[in-house]
Amino acid sequence: MEPIIINVYKQMDGYTFSLPVSIRQRVKDWFPDAHPANRIFVAYDIKSDFEKYYDQLENYIYPALLGIRSDNNLDDKVKEIQFVDSETGNLLHTHRLAA
Amino acid sequence: MKKHYHLYLGKAGHLAVMSEFLIRGWNVAIPEVDIGDDIFVVQDDIGTLNRVQVKTATSNVKKGSFSGRFNLPLLQLRRISPILFHYVFIVRHKERWTDPIIIRQDYLLNFVQSDSFGTIHKENLSLYFSYSSNGVGCSGIDLSSFVADYADFPVIEE
Repeated sequence: MEPIIINVYKQMDGYTFSLPVSIRQRVKDWFPDAHPANRIFVAYDIKSDFEKYYDQLENYIYPALLGIRSDNNLDDKVKEIQFVDSETGNLLHTHRLAA
Repeated sequence: MKKHYHLYLGKAGHLAVMSEFLIRGWNVAIPEVDIGDDIFVVQDDIGTLNRVQVKTATSNVKKGSFSGRFNLPLLQLRRISPILFHYVFIVRHKERWTDPIIIRQDYLLNFVQSDSFGTIHKENLSLYFSYSSNGVGCSGIDLSSFVADYADFPVIEE
């Protein structure tokens, strides 16, 4: 069961979270009524302390990016969601879905 | 061939692509300092901004077909920012430009990561597009659907 990959690109004024094209297609195959987004930008004031909110942010971002209804059983299809630095490919965070 | 021909070719390609955006009602601008963005393409009234990278090549003619080779930095491709790049590939063939192949950054990155698209050497991606009567392709992938694909740049009439 391959994880869902969400790319993360950090900029001076916020984070861009994006779904690779192949993941968007996979989500649509799983859930035909899903509307996955290409990307979501979360803006912060420059020099704010948004680093410490980053982990919390991920948990809100993935449902919006995947565009699936909350009553869809995503955990039947995938066990974890990986947040990956799009520039380096480094794994930033793994979100495990409840079994 | 003229000295520094590649510079002339590149600028001519830029201008040809800019001309097409203008005729579709999109405004265009070239950054004063070139650090990666080739062209800004802007919808004037609401400020929608697109970033365009123009890649030019001269054709290498073979029997019944021709090809064009392009290079681009991988690091730029991997940076998925709020405003994606559109890569526009054109080849100078028989004293004309080919129809542009327009591939948005996330689709191009997906080809590279999923389909072994092109070849990678020292953080540069090298692409070899082959044109024939059957269409255009690269690394076994049919790119015909990307030819003159202006879906993200609809004609602006008002």
